[in-house]
Amino acid sequence: MKIRKELWFGFTLMAIILAAVLFYTPWAGFVDGHLGHDDLGALGLLMLALIVVAIMLGFPTAFTLMGMGVFFGWLAYRSVNPALANQQILDLMVQRAYSVMSNDVLIAIPLFVFMGYLVERANLIEKLFRSLHLSLARVPGALAVATIVTCAIFATATGIVGAVVTLMGLLALPAMLRAGYSVQLSAGAITAGGCLGILIPPSVLLIVYGATAGVSVVKLYAGAFFPGVMLAALYVLYVIVVAKLKPHLAPPLSESERQVPLPPLSEQLSGRHRNALAGLFGALRDPVPGLAKGSVFGQLLVTLLPAISITVLLVLMYGGATAPPVAVDTSGLVQAGGGIVAEETAAPMSGLQEPPGEGADSGGLKEPEPEGAASAAAAATPAPKAEAATPPSATASATPARPRVPAPTWFWITFAIGVGSLVLISWMMNWQRLEIFKMLLTSFFPLAVMIIAVLGSIVFGLATPTEAAAVGGFGGVVLAGVYRYIAARQTPGGHPIRKTLVDLGGIIKESSFLTAKTSAMVCWLFVGSSIFSASFALLGGQEIIERWVLSLGLTTVQFMILSQFIIFILGWPLEWTEIIVIFMPIFIPLLAKFGVDPLFFGLLVALNLQTAFLSPPVAMAAFYLKGVSPRHVTLNQIFAGMMPFMGIQVIAIILLYVFPQIGLWLPQLLYK
Amino acid sequence: MQKLLLRIDKISTFVGQAFSWLIVALTFMITWEVFSRYALDHPHSWAFDVMIIMYGTLFMMAGAYTLAKSGHVRGDVLYGFFHPRTQATIDLILYILFFIPGVFALTYAGYFFAAESLAIRETSNITAEGPPIYPFKMILPLAGIFLLAQGIVEIIRCVICIRQGAWPSREEDVQEVDVDKLKEMVHVKDEDIARLDAFVAPKGSSK
Repeated sequence: MKIRKELWFGFTLMAIILAAVLFYTPWAGFVDGHLGHDDLGALGLLMLALIVVAIMLGFPTAFTLMGMGVFFGWLAYRSVNPALANQQILDLMVQRAYSVMSNDVLIAIPLFVFMGYLVERANLIEKLFRSLHLSLARVPGALAVATIVTCAIFATATGIVGAVVTLMGLLALPAMLRAGYSVQLSAGAITAGGCLGILIPPSVLLIVYGATAGVSVVKLYAGAFFPGVMLAALYVLYVIVVAKLKPHLAPPLSESERQVPLPPLSEQLSGRHRNALAGLFGALRDPVPGLAKGSVFGQLLVTLLPAISITVLLVLMYGGATAPPVAVDTSGLVQAGGGIVAEETAAPMSGLQEPPGEGADSGGLKEPEPEGAASAAAAATPAPKAEAATPPSATASATPARPRVPAPTWFWITFAIGVGSLVLISWMMNWQRLEIFKMLLTSFFPLAVMIIAVLGSIVFGLATPTEAAAVGGFGGVVLAGVYRYIAARQTPGGHPIRKTLVDLGGIIKESSFLTAKTSAMVCWLFVGSSIFSASFALLGGQEIIERWVLSLGLTTVQFMILSQFIIFILGWPLEWTEIIVIFMPIFIPLLAKFGVDPLFFGLLVALNLQTAFLSPPVAMAAFYLKGVSPRHVTLNQIFAGMMPFMGIQVIAIILLYVFPQIGLWLPQLLYK
Repeated sequence: MQKLLLRIDKISTFVGQAFSWLIVALTFMITWEVFSRYALDHPHSWAFDVMIIMYGTLFMMAGAYTLAKSGHVRGDVLYGFFHPRTQATIDLILYILFFIPGVFALTYAGYFFAAESLAIRETSNITAEGPPIYPFKMILPLAGIFLLAQGIVEIIRCVICIRQGAWPSREEDVQEVDVDKLKEMVHVKDEDIARLDAFVAPKGSSK
């Protein structure tokens, strides 16, 4: 039997762990049936070592955790009082399982997952990629940049790494290869971009972390937004630099590839005027024979959309900025929105190793949210304020009596920028750009609006993550329906509406089955791990680890580097769910000792776990890409392509560590 | 034997899929609740309880279904490299060592947990007049029973695999990443991919 290198490595590792376990096991304690305090602690570590071995063997992790947790928990109870042990461990188990069942943080997981599957099946990625790469045609490395942007947006909305990488492998890889891009760069852009979805909120990873660490998911979302955008921006920057320095790796698009075929109406009008806006106005004033005025008007309306939206935004901002100062009474809001949640979060949460105070902390945080949102909104972006302030009747009655304040300077600056960009857009809008804009309108903007709506309502405290996820899921249904309807109208045969409904039914059915499986996977893992970590704490394993780490006398920086390094290494054999659910409960209590904010730690971990998808040999992303790439693209090429992007991830982690404000600025601004 | 396996697989799948529709109900219910609260100014006090109950029921009852489709996350580092016989042997041992005791204990404990709740006709204490919570607690042992049944099926699968040297087949199901379906969705055919090789091969990077 030929055994591969990986197997040897794995077996060696296992053998080392097992040998250590055998050596340290308190056999004497077993023999005379008496386990002392230290013996129990040693048992705890033994349990941890065994779980690593068992996970590497490949048994479903949830049940490994459950079985081991029950056995070791029973041992722990038995050493105290053998008569009660059976009952106690059963009680512990059922309580833990029930606390996962009634966990008000984890409930958002199936909803977000459902939304993701729906968006994935709405089938807009093709359009999204095409419109983005056309609109970015002038940027160096346009295709790779468009790939990363598409990935970032699509992955954010869906959060399913495998699907995004596969789809982009089908769409972007051929396009890039045909354009003469190097295999490495193309593969790297696709795989790295596809993984962004687990970082940029709304991501399931952050919910799982929030539930494990007892950190408010809302704060995590607010915090992870900018690091996620930063990482995506770094990727884009890297691609642009490479394309500039080594054009043979990413040659610019040829003129013919930049062209968009114009529809007949535009074709006809483009002869009369270069600028689309002027041309359309002209066509309205003195009609062209053979052109319906209605369709010209429709085109004009579409062309004017940016102008209209900027105007509306500015007017809203003016209204917000000059609104009379009101002491916003948020009590009504809290009752309407956050009341139920605030009560809930304080009640039994995940039940995983929460440091005391954490649970209460996140519970308390939910409450001030609307207030913080309202005051922050008054300071920065007045648009949401109008919405935030509607429910309390106190505000409404107080408003008309007071005089309007003069608009502050920042408003006039924004106003100038708005008007300036408006002029620029109108001036730049030629017929080609109009076509691209229309494509963006049907692919990029719906998704962007949906993401912003979901995120915005969470971050500004208008809705809990659960509610936002549900509404996002509903939006996903609508999106899928609309896109399927468009597709159904374009293909001949059958009644379009009936066809759409049949399609949509199929999509919803598939999505809900997949959702059930994915959430069962994650939540059963939670059931297992909460039993496991309870036993671990019972045995005092946590205490030993704490004592050991503290005895090392690490500084905070050293501790952070060590912990991130461990997580990085764990990302090699394990999936992020396992890492967070099993190992975070061990790290989190240590954070307080070193004065590290669990929120900040969570952001670092989320950034770090990006690498888990890209580090060979278990890089899932690489295998998904390999599955759909031409025969001659080797796994080694894909790995080689991923390396620079992994480097960027490490740089991003360092950046975030050195400048914590990248992540903490928004949550601090909103929830102080 | 194979027939019995598939029968239990089918039951698990049916139950899991039936309960998976809860996600649709949950989505619509919460959307309606949000609408009702903000637009109609009419929140419901029971909404939160119902949300939690639906979520808990959804994932608990899908546990056996997920097991039947081998959807539970497992460490793939070494497992993928093993021969099917080795895989089956490891699985068999660990099913008996971890799965059966763990799930059995959960079911057993869950039964008394639910029975106590039923005896006092427990209601949710999240709001003053919470809905009855005992049916929800019954989900715990119920899901455990289904999971246990499915676990036994998996054990038999392992035994068959050890005997025959290959894994017995499973029923097809929706895949998270169904490459063929995705190809169809974006209109890419295998020939197109094959044709792309022309762009890759000249670079001298073929194996």
